[in-house]
Amino acid sequence: MFLCYNKMSFAIKLTLKQALPIASRSSIILQNVYNYSSKATSQDNFYNNFTDWETLSKKKKVSKAMRAYLERAKEHDEFMKKQQFEYNIGKRHLANMMGEDPETFTQKDVDRAVEYLFPSGIYDRAARPLMKPPEEVFPARKAAEFDEAGWPHHFLFYTGKPNFFKLLYDITENIQDLYKYGDKVIRKKEVTDEKLLLNITGSVWLTKDQLEQLLVETVTDLEYDNFKLAMDRLVSLPHSHIYKDFIEKFRKPLATQRFALEIPKPSYDENGNAFVTTYECLRKKARGDVTIKSPGTGKITINGQDLTYFEDTQSREQVIFPLIFTGMQDKVDIVCNIEGGGPSGQSGAIRWGIAWGLRSFVDKDMLEAMQLAGLLTRDHRRRERKKPGQPGARKKPTWKRR
Amino acid sequence: MLSRNLRFLSRRYSQGVTFRTTETSPSQQNENQIGLFYTVNNDVCKQLFGHGGLPKSYMKQTKTFTETSLMVRLPALDIINCIKATDFDKPVIRYMLYGEIGAGKSLTLAHLLHYAYEDGYLIVHVPWVSEWLRRVPRHKEMSNSPTHEGLVDLPLDGAAWLLHFKMQNQVLLKKGNLKISKEYVWSKREQTPEGAPLAELIEHGITRVKYACDVIDALISEIKILSNSKQCKTFVAIDGFNTFFYPLTRLSTPTKKKVTPEEVTLTKSFMELTKNDWVNGVIILTADQLGVSQDHQESHLPKYLLYKKGFEHIDPFVPVEVGRYSEREFMSCASYYRDRLWLRGPRETEGELKLASACNPYKFMELCAPL
Repeated sequence: MFLCYNKMSFAIKLTLKQALPIASRSSIILQNVYNYSSKATSQDNFYNNFTDWETLSKKKKVSKAMRAYLERAKEHDEFMKKQQFEYNIGKRHLANMMGEDPETFTQKDVDRAVEYLFPSGIYDRAARPLMKPPEEVFPARKAAEFDEAGWPHHFLFYTGKPNFFKLLYDITENIQDLYKYGDKVIRKKEVTDEKLLLNITGSVWLTKDQLEQLLVETVTDLEYDNFKLAMDRLVSLPHSHIYKDFIEKFRKPLATQRFALEIPKPSYDENGNAFVTTYECLRKKARGDVTIKSPGTGKITINGQDLTYFEDTQSREQVIFPLIFTGMQDKVDIVCNIEGGGPSGQSGAIRWGIAWGLRSFVDKDMLEAMQLAGLLTRDHRRRERKKPGQPGARKKPTWKRR
Repeated sequence: MLSRNLRFLSRRYSQGVTFRTTETSPSQQNENQIGLFYTVNNDVCKQLFGHGGLPKSYMKQTKTFTETSLMVRLPALDIINCIKATDFDKPVIRYMLYGEIGAGKSLTLAHLLHYAYEDGYLIVHVPWVSEWLRRVPRHKEMSNSPTHEGLVDLPLDGAAWLLHFKMQNQVLLKKGNLKISKEYVWSKREQTPEGAPLAELIEHGITRVKYACDVIDALISEIKILSNSKQCKTFVAIDGFNTFFYPLTRLSTPTKKKVTPEEVTLTKSFMELTKNDWVNGVIILTADQLGVSQDHQESHLPKYLLYKKGFEHIDPFVPVEVGRYSEREFMSCASYYRDRLWLRGPRETEGELKLASACNPYKFMELCAPL
């Protein structure tokens, strides 16, 4: 100790104290440290001392934080293992209860069984009883971020959100690469192939929550906006198809064809004419069914009467809108029966029925267009109840400040 | 500028179907011209329809388009052909036009009136019966009839109608061949002597409003006599004939008692006229749903609208249905509206309009209005 204070300079003393959070200091180390000072000694000694430092660090002198972290990680792993075990046992019990084979009991069957055994009237799906594998239930944790010496694995560990900033770094790196590539192309005067251009219609960027889930880190709004800006920049560059896989990872495709499986096939009557009937056409209080006959002349019959069944123009327009939209006004005949409700409800029900039936006679593009036009969605709005203490469903008595 | 006009004109002519015909005389029109529009001369129009005869919405249309043009349609042509082929020595034939609201009954009647005018008939035209019996502004001038006991008179209406009659038949009356056969004594100081021209009788009725309805009575009997003696051929057109038979009117006596149509003298007069006990004439009637109140407008068929009494009164008659537009008529009408720059927009609107209006002429007109 005395040697140390006499011979080392003050600065080195301080750095040593900070850099070496070692509990005990043996004289051997100090001797080595002493040798690190400005006073030069022989070369051999120097190198010999170097190796000693390495071997010493291999002796697993873990820090307090590292130890705590390791403990927590171990606990979590054990916990997860236990949960997984319990889940498996529970699944087998459930299969036995339901009288099915435990080996071939899938997650879907589990959900069905739980819903059957614990019927719940709660509206929020997340609040109902559920039984899922523990990976889905408990949030993901990051693996060890630094090794036992305390050196972090990730080069951006000290930003606090290494995955996110690595992502941004990757994006900028790609942008720079594309600039260089673009310059090269221009210099060589090559022409880019049109077909390779990136097509981003039909998909959107991941939402903030989805990004958080992907990166296992929280992301603030500002950071998320910056991320989107950077990605847009990357996509807008001319040769962005090179990094197509990278970009695809962060794009979610929009809802596409769900109907293809469900479109009914038209049945054929005596003369060989195709027809499709849609039952249960409802809107407000109107109920009815619509039959569309395929080779037709554009005749419309409602409850035995012509389109003049509806006297006001709006109802008539509602009924003929699907026909005009698809261009089938003189190609099909329509026969419908409806009852209940008023003109608006009845015409809405018929419109939905016609659109739903026309799906069988129309091609894919028109089907998408119809869906976008909102012809195929069932209007589920009903009259809202009037509440006591209020004049109407939403109307309140005059509001007075005091 | 000139090139733009040329383009405009050529666009007009090449667009769509032809919808006009130059044949302006109804007696010369035939099946080739079904669906085409012909224009009525403005003077003729004023003379014939000065006091009503064309529906109000149509009058507004004529003002917008600065011309009166009618479409040649099958029912009108049918009746004209029948009239041309009738034997005028037999009792008068009665035609009944019927159809949905807005199908074109009044306009068909107008077309026939034009034909009658050209052919030199003596026209007896009642523009709209409901006007007398149902359109009651606060208080209707009514008086108890002097000649018929217990019946009610409508003096102002009567006088107005006489004026209308005079205007329609100006030409024939000026010629002065038509003379009355009896003497009519109105009061101590007024009388119309025998052999006086018809015009004088009418003048008297117009000036002395008090005796208007009696004049109408007299006029009708004179017309019958004249037709029977072949001095003139008569064309009777009554729009909304079924209103005469509806059990109620909107009139009420000063004692607040409701008046039925039978108690109105005008009804009696026109019943007389529509009896088929005279020759050398044609009677055309329309049965319209709009003539009665909303509760009784279930069907547009004559038997329903005329009630038992009316049906028996005009039985036998020739029913003529006025239907909706056919394809060709519809396209022609649409082209006409486009030409008048009343209907604008892409070609597809026509298909939509056809469906939405269900080819009803009136509805089609209404729908085009905001376009």
